[in-house]
Amino acid sequence: MRTALYTGLAALAAGLLVAPGAPLAASAENGKQVFMRAGCWQCHGTVGQGGAAGPKLAPDPLPFDALSSFVRTTNRQMPAYRKQVLSDADLADLYAYLKSIPQGPDAKTIPLLNQQ
Amino acid sequence: MTRPWARIKDLDWSLVTSGNVSNWPKRLWAMERYYQWLGGPGGYGVGYGAPAAVGAALANRAEGRFSVSIQSDGDLMYAPGVLWTAARHRIPLLSVMHNNRAYHQEVMHVQRLADRRDRVADLGHDRCPIGTAIENPDPDYAKLAASLGWWSAGPIKDPNELAGALEYAVEVVQAGEPALVDVWTQPR
Repeated sequence: MRTALYTGLAALAAGLLVAPGAPLAASAENGKQVFMRAGCWQCHGTVGQGGAAGPKLAPDPLPFDALSSFVRTTNRQMPAYRKQVLSDADLADLYAYLKSIPQGPDAKTIPLLNQQ
Repeated sequence: MTRPWARIKDLDWSLVTSGNVSNWPKRLWAMERYYQWLGGPGGYGVGYGAPAAVGAALANRAEGRFSVSIQSDGDLMYAPGVLWTAARHRIPLLSVMHNNRAYHQEVMHVQRLADRRDRVADLGHDRCPIGTAIENPDPDYAKLAASLGWWSAGPIKDPNELAGALEYAVEVVQAGEPALVDVWTQPR
């Protein structure tokens, strides 16, 4: 009985240490493939940099819960991706890919972008 | 889009068409004269760009203006014969290709309808949903243009090669001939 209680408390503590909705054991490598296969890159660019057709996704993506909710339910220009098309595991991997994308150079350091 | 702008901004330039490339020139180029943007098809007419560019360049030739077009690849698949017309009649035009290897205007429509039916739009054969990619084989627009009498360069896949190609292409156009620079790009 005492063992079961301790086990339960340990499980509860572990649950509290994990942010709600955070993807577990996600693979950025697979996420990049998902990002390309699902067509995200077609509007958001191959490294999530954004463009005229879709906003910037990375670096510093939205919190996972916000991004997940949008992907699953949006009725805006972007189509909603349900689990039948994009699984929870693939969405978690996709998020890991977005999180892995580093900051680009400061625009002020690129001469071509600073011409008059 | 900033690279062509850097090369032409001090000329008396006229953007004769920009294909379906999300209006990047209008976002990034300083347009101060009425002829610096001569408009689009008005109805998302794919295939309008190349013939319209040659026609507008013909009009600009009489005014001594430097004509430049941002030529999308899907658009050029419709009426490439107009390239011969430009060469035959020595119509100076700088055509910089926004080559995203797709009929990209259609990509999201296919994606949206597939998603509504819980289907995967990309079958894995190409980078884009079925019926929208223009690859495998990849058209070589520089060779196409050269075969029809244009000076051409590309496909350029390394941004570091773009400035040099544009430099020479501008000289060709200023000498009174058409020139095409095929550039592989991000989709939009």
